[in-house]
Amino acid sequence: MAAEVKKGIDTTKNAIPFEMAQIPGPEMAKTYMPKVLGAIIKKSKRPLLVVGAELFDDPIMFDKMIEMGKMGIPIAATAHSVKGFVDRGYMNNVYQIGLHPLTNYLRFPDWKGLDGQGQYDTVIFMGIFYKFANAMFATLKNFNRNVKRISVDRYYHVNANMTFGNMAFTPDDYHAAVDEVIAAMKK
Amino acid sequence: MATSKGSFSVEDMKNVQINIGAVVKEAEEWDQEMGPFPKPGVATLRDWDYKIMNRYKIMYAPADDTCTLCTFGPCDLTGDKKGACGIDQAGACGKIVLIACLMGCCAHAAHGRHLYHWCLDKFGDMKFDMGDEILVDSPLYQTIIGKKPKSLKDFDEGLAYLEEEVVQLVAATHTGQEGYFMDFESKALHTGMMDDLGMEICDLLQIVAYDMPRGAADAPLIEIGMGTLDQNKGVLIAYGHNLAAGAEAMIYAEKNNLWDKVDIGGVCCTAFDLTRITETGRDSIVPKNLGPKAKIAGAMGWWRKMVRAGVMDVVMVDEQCVYCDVLGDAQKRKIPVIATTDKIMLGLPDRTNDSVDQIVEDLVSFKMPGVAVLDPTKAGEIGIRVAIAVKPKRAEAKIQNLITEEQFKEDIKKCTTCNECAFVCPPHIRISDLIAEANKGNLEAFSSMYEICVGCGRCEQSCPQGIRILDLFEYANRQYIKNQKFKMRAGRGPARDTEIRAVGAPIVLGTIPGVIALVGCSNYPKGTKECYDIAKEFVDRGYIVVTSGCMAMDMSLYTDADGKTIWEQYGGAFDGRNICNTGSCVANANIMGAAIKVATIFAHRNHRANFDDIADYILNKVGACGIAWGAYSQKAASIATGCNRLGIPVVVQPHSVMYRRSFVGRTDKPEDWMTIDARDGKLQQVEPAPEAMLYIAETKEEAMLEMAKLCFRPSDNSIGRGIKLTHYCDISMKYFGKLPDDWHIFVRDVKDLPLVYKEDMMKTLESKFGWKIDWKAKKILSGPLRPADVSFDPTLISRKIRTKK
Repeated sequence: MAAEVKKGIDTTKNAIPFEMAQIPGPEMAKTYMPKVLGAIIKKSKRPLLVVGAELFDDPIMFDKMIEMGKMGIPIAATAHSVKGFVDRGYMNNVYQIGLHPLTNYLRFPDWKGLDGQGQYDTVIFMGIFYKFANAMFATLKNFNRNVKRISVDRYYHVNANMTFGNMAFTPDDYHAAVDEVIAAMKK
Repeated sequence: MATSKGSFSVEDMKNVQINIGAVVKEAEEWDQEMGPFPKPGVATLRDWDYKIMNRYKIMYAPADDTCTLCTFGPCDLTGDKKGACGIDQAGACGKIVLIACLMGCCAHAAHGRHLYHWCLDKFGDMKFDMGDEILVDSPLYQTIIGKKPKSLKDFDEGLAYLEEEVVQLVAATHTGQEGYFMDFESKALHTGMMDDLGMEICDLLQIVAYDMPRGAADAPLIEIGMGTLDQNKGVLIAYGHNLAAGAEAMIYAEKNNLWDKVDIGGVCCTAFDLTRITETGRDSIVPKNLGPKAKIAGAMGWWRKMVRAGVMDVVMVDEQCVYCDVLGDAQKRKIPVIATTDKIMLGLPDRTNDSVDQIVEDLVSFKMPGVAVLDPTKAGEIGIRVAIAVKPKRAEAKIQNLITEEQFKEDIKKCTTCNECAFVCPPHIRISDLIAEANKGNLEAFSSMYEICVGCGRCEQSCPQGIRILDLFEYANRQYIKNQKFKMRAGRGPARDTEIRAVGAPIVLGTIPGVIALVGCSNYPKGTKECYDIAKEFVDRGYIVVTSGCMAMDMSLYTDADGKTIWEQYGGAFDGRNICNTGSCVANANIMGAAIKVATIFAHRNHRANFDDIADYILNKVGACGIAWGAYSQKAASIATGCNRLGIPVVVQPHSVMYRRSFVGRTDKPEDWMTIDARDGKLQQVEPAPEAMLYIAETKEEAMLEMAKLCFRPSDNSIGRGIKLTHYCDISMKYFGKLPDDWHIFVRDVKDLPLVYKEDMMKTLESKFGWKIDWKAKKILSGPLRPADVSFDPTLISRKIRTKK
């Protein structure tokens, strides 16, 4: 089993907070292989993909996010990242909202969601300024533990439940890992 | 003591002077009755705080899941667990927020207390006179204390009150004291208000004592930038926030005709205050028109770049925002350091009582790397004499400031691209990429990242190869440093009453779309240029833009196509399409003061000891929004919290999450937006305006959009709402490529719709949101949250309900 898992990109290495001094306490994120993250996202009932403005630094990621969106996962486009979706002509299930008010809503169980259908059970962060994403994960970690926190960003996100290790300096591997997540979601 | 029945008990008191005449005189001179809350205590305004917090939910982002503040700990609070003392994660966060705000408040208040003693010692008691055009001369003092100071000495009462409150607030942070998060936040809001008071006292003291501009829209343009310091002279840098010693250095240089031998530059807010000295030409024991002779070397974020650039010969530090390793950095380059206040003594010997000649000799001969001299006059003389005398000595010692080309090349070859540096860099600069480009002979990457680097130096400490990364940046940008010469407007001080009269109605009705206040210091998410971009966006759109401190400095480093800085492009009035620099960090109080003055001068609200009434007015009617885009310090956290208690929302940048707490409303909860109509006491749901009190934005684009939205107020008339909606939608189209999703929430009537989008919006209201439109009459028949009503008088305070006689 382990050998089979290791066939893909190993995203479990380098489990060091991307800002090294961000050591929050006894509970820190575990790193997972892309296939596992893909399967968990697929299994979740109310997932929300939350993307930020760092996507503009690596525009191919917009296409990958749109691919996820087309699989039915709603996208919360934070900061001004919605422009990337507008420019690509994909707005089907894309919602423009700041990460801060979004996290504020996510911590309340009675929130009805961006589509009015109810609170989400899983959030998947991607392309958000590290320190900000880390802090918003910390809010959910401490004040609404019913929402599962997944990062498919290129950083080890210490306050997530599930994350990749740091891949900030290996963009090809990172892109391949995200592709593996998407492939696992399609299975 | 005074009793409730008006009698006096003076037992055990000797030499008591009870000045009944002064009280009577004050009542006669002030047409306002004493309000309900003179000198409010810690819990006096708690009801108002809870009104704010019930609407704007407290949201914490813990930077730490544990509490280590006492010997019970460390306690794991993850998931809102309780610690051994019983405090939960929310309470622990609230406690840290309160402590941070107290740090900020005390920094300003202690500055004010020092200036109070210093000004009385130097100038004696002086009449408190802000000139004929500023009659509401101390708006925060009057709103909080309920009195008008008449002389500098009168400010002692305000400082003593503030100091007592701070002691009570600090006490509440001890283990076993306050434990509930909302009460910690109420105390933090009280601290923020105390900070407002401390800042105002501080700035008013120095304005009067040093004859600084009193609301001068045409304050002079002064020089800013490292390239402005004349390297043919000895260069003295005054670094920090307290002008006392720096001003004495200027006075010494002036009285001894030494300006041909010495140049004085300031770093951080001391820089601002030095350039404001004796600009109005009134009678003063300080020489006239002294201010513009000083230069602004730069904001505090430039310090480490500046010290490496070799532009200074001696540095005099006072207080606040001084890097802790200033002595080590200076010592390496044989730059003598003079510590001038007891806040920052850096381990240096206290030479206050030694002879000036001996101290100068010890510093010029490099026998000592620095001294502490706590007498500002003596420190000023020493600073000037050392700057002049040490210049040739430093030249003889052949001090190498910049690394050589050879050293640069040696260092960049050492990089193994391990990227340890990137893991600690606040703006996440990929330093190894810059070095790789430099190895190819291209220094452009180092240049383009120079303003984004915050100069923290964490990269150098983490580099296993010992590469001097900050030195690489300086070498690659040596030409830029020489050419860093710009103009900015000196701090003008408060808004004049006449200016407030002119803009009061347009602000409240919304025809001036808002007041944007840019404050705070270094560590901007994407560099200093963002300060300019944000200011330019709003001043171009006709907002009143006010700024202060390091953000005002940093936005001065950019020019338009004609080579003009933002200060040369626009006027300095408190008016639409103008940009005013109120002054240093403590001059932020003038921004809050302007909001109060709108309430009292334009709307004739009684502000005397009437804080919650004024804050309620501002929250509902004054479309103002602050932005602390580079919130470096606890002072910024405290200032923002003070704004919030006064009803002014603030946008902060993503690094600000370190302060853990924000206030953001739930727009999906109609009950949170119920507002009293003061005309008849009926409850009315209003649009979420403003929707947050402390909003964290990820990018400048998001910040600008949110700022435009946070200028909406329930009191906007239709023309005003239309103007505000136009800017909100325009900014969204410009940076987001689409209209905002929530624009319709702010529409009450067809007249509210921006002309350019009107037709499309009406169609959308009908098709997407199900509103009923009479297309013939071009009227909205149903759909809006509430109708437009120009006489609607929103308030959250039930005592404001007007009862019919």
